[in-house]
Amino acid sequence: MVEQGGCSSKIPPKQLEEVLRYLPIAEDPDILVNIDTQDDAGVYRINDELALVFTTDFFPPVCSDPYEFGQIAAANSISDVYAMGGMPILALNIMMFPASKLPVEAYSQIVKGGFDKATEAGVKIIGGHTIDDTTPKYGLAVVGFAHPKKLTTNAGAKPGDILILTKPIGSGIILAGHRLGMTGEADLKEALEYMKLLNKSGAEVMKKFGITGATDITGFGLAGHALKMARAGNVSINITMTAVPLMNSTLKLVDEGCIPGASFSNLDYSETDTDFSADLNYNLKMIAFDAQTSGGLLISVQESKAEEMLSELKSAGLNMSAIIGYVTTRKEKLLYLSS
Amino acid sequence: MRTVDTKGQKCPVPIIETKKALRASQKGESFLVLTDNKTAFSNISRFLNDNKIKFSVLEKSGEWIFNITNETGENITTAAEDYCSEPIAHLEKGNYIIVLTSDKMGEGDEELGHLLISNFIKALKDLDRLPQKMVFYNKGVTLVTKNSPVIEHLKDLEKMGVELLLCATCVNHYSLEASIGAGTLSNMYTIAATMASAGHIIRP
Repeated sequence: MVEQGGCSSKIPPKQLEEVLRYLPIAEDPDILVNIDTQDDAGVYRINDELALVFTTDFFPPVCSDPYEFGQIAAANSISDVYAMGGMPILALNIMMFPASKLPVEAYSQIVKGGFDKATEAGVKIIGGHTIDDTTPKYGLAVVGFAHPKKLTTNAGAKPGDILILTKPIGSGIILAGHRLGMTGEADLKEALEYMKLLNKSGAEVMKKFGITGATDITGFGLAGHALKMARAGNVSINITMTAVPLMNSTLKLVDEGCIPGASFSNLDYSETDTDFSADLNYNLKMIAFDAQTSGGLLISVQESKAEEMLSELKSAGLNMSAIIGYVTTRKEKLLYLSS
Repeated sequence: MRTVDTKGQKCPVPIIETKKALRASQKGESFLVLTDNKTAFSNISRFLNDNKIKFSVLEKSGEWIFNITNETGENITTAAEDYCSEPIAHLEKGNYIIVLTSDKMGEGDEELGHLLISNFIKALKDLDRLPQKMVFYNKGVTLVTKNSPVIEHLKDLEKMGVELLLCATCVNHYSLEASIGAGTLSNMYTIAATMASAGHIIRP
């Protein structure tokens, strides 16, 4: 199976924004989270206690093993429900598969990977759709439940909050580096394990702390998703790049020039709203824009609860969780990156 | 003039090749980078601008020719070392220390012993929890010299937050003061205190 790109296969954010401008926004008082806040999922209120969370994600293979690809794609799709504070319940398979070029065994392995990961999350896959296509792509459409008053949205970060990231970043760089033979199997394996990791335990800890603002880090990179949070919440976000947990060999690869094209698109999209401190190392800057596949949760937590939350996240197995920045009132720029 | 032809290659290969060429070039030297990919052209330009590297670019029938000059001769490796002084947030540390008393691991064949200690040190980076500190004494201090086969791995461990303590008496005894490549010189009191307060001690 030819690897191509994971979330780096997204249309460049600037272009996507242009396209979405033509998409009409549905109006309905029961729509709690709509397209206009560019959040992780849509949310629709059923009654005072129940809301539906609805999301989809799919992409071409990020690795050569079809089973692992299925696992990662499923984890990535389900992640958006967790990022909204919801509990994922049902899903449908979305598959594009070159039936004449790849063996049917690959198809079944992808779907099995997706099924096993969904089962781990407590999600039942009850249908799906497959079409023939020149390159394989897989993912899920997922429905979850949430409490209408307990959502964690892009708009929920408050000035004074501390930002915690639950998984290290660097997957885009490592996938590219591995494709080019610049990094070995051990580093790839580490990256794949993080991509397969569900954001389930992170979401459970978020629930305990009554978090209102969170997102998951995927195709627009840490900086791109932080920017979306700042914009939606009308706040400014500061990130200290040396505090951000990185996957093994990420720095080394970037230093050798392994900067995926998606990083530049993400930079392009974000730079007018971003301030780059004078001391910001170039490599760390580009890492901030590295498109992630199935990344961790970026959580905005009250300052007084930050240490406790960090400790709980680590106890829950997310031992790379780290405090990476903080939220302020809206300043001139939305995002401030420093070294 | 050296020419780096990246035509037919997609990102990030053109950037990698550009960086390689910069590193290999001398101060004042110029070289060409060719690409036929619009995204690569745009990304290389961005990369060069952000790193304040002097260049000019010419477009000719769907191809771009970059003329790049390594003005400073600093060979972007300095950028690498800039951030290398920052501790890299990585692995949590375990409540244990490692004591290296020799340049070999185990008793028996000498050559095997040297190989084993190298492999041991390389394997440390992959552990779930790194040691708080690593203490080197007697022949162990030779592992920390600039031409030691594991010096890069020890430097990486240091960057990951592991403290490397070297017995100063030993360094002097083997006349290695000028050759030490990492860690800090320490005295027997500090070494003894470190051992006494460690959760457990590993001596490979």
